[in-house]
Amino acid sequence: MPEAIEIQLKKGALELCVLALLSQHDSYAYEIASRLADAIGMGEGTIYPLMRRLQSDGLVETYLVESKEGPPRKYYRLSEGGRKSFISQQAAWKSFSGAVETILGGVQ
Amino acid sequence: MTRQAFMARLRAGLRGLPPQSVADVVADYEAHFTDGIAAGRSEEEVAAALGSPDRLAREIRAESTMTRWRDERSPSSAASAVFAVLGLGALDIMILLPILIAVASTIFGLVVAVIIAFFAGAFVFAAGPFIDPPGGPVTALLAGLGIMAGSASGAAVLTMISIGLMNALVWYGRLHYRLLKPALES
Repeated sequence: MPEAIEIQLKKGALELCVLALLSQHDSYAYEIASRLADAIGMGEGTIYPLMRRLQSDGLVETYLVESKEGPPRKYYRLSEGGRKSFISQQAAWKSFSGAVETILGGVQ
Repeated sequence: MTRQAFMARLRAGLRGLPPQSVADVVADYEAHFTDGIAAGRSEEEVAAALGSPDRLAREIRAESTMTRWRDERSPSSAASAVFAVLGLGALDIMILLPILIAVASTIFGLVVAVIIAFFAGAFVFAAGPFIDPPGGPVTALLAGLGIMAGSASGAAVLTMISIGLMNALVWYGRLHYRLLKPALES
């Protein structure tokens, strides 16, 4: 059961975390994946379907940057819609997690 | 597993998908290896972190057929989604299989019955005036129309039931993702 709760929590947080990283600076999939894999323990391969979904939802855009070795690298940046979505999701998350914190604090 | 082996198995597993989507997926994972090695990891470490390429390919394939089913309600997109869900190969899907076959054949039987009823109605309607039926030709015309209308609405109800069942199966299939979870669930 705790495992199911953990999966649900990560599921809700994953998209928000990706949007948060991209709101700081444009990035590429490997960088996003390795930061999230360390921080919240998601599978590395998970990032690609997520980025594709965010792209088809119009929240992120891609552009190519030439790299010194190998093929050009695909960078992601937030679209205008993505920025708005991030701001509203961030507000929703903060008020929700604040409420949960208050209740958990009351239990102790 | 080496990078080459991983990519070969991923490619093999994706065979049959549209070439453009295969190219996109392959390019993503190639870039992942390139970046991982540039960050000082070995090919084996990167491959292990990504999980089994066979499993990954099956889930990507299932997801792609399910998206096609969402965008295009056709018997062929439904069939590929069913096979992709079965391909996920969870044990409880194997238990589901006999039920699925029974439901599919029942629906097929009903579809055939509805088509036959429609043509029977058309026959009554067209032949009515010439064969002197009981109640006179007008009754036969109306009865023929009634049978055709009834079978058409039966077909509509069957279509709705089939689409509902397919959507339930797609939902069920998504529960069995291991590697792509939770990124695909929105």
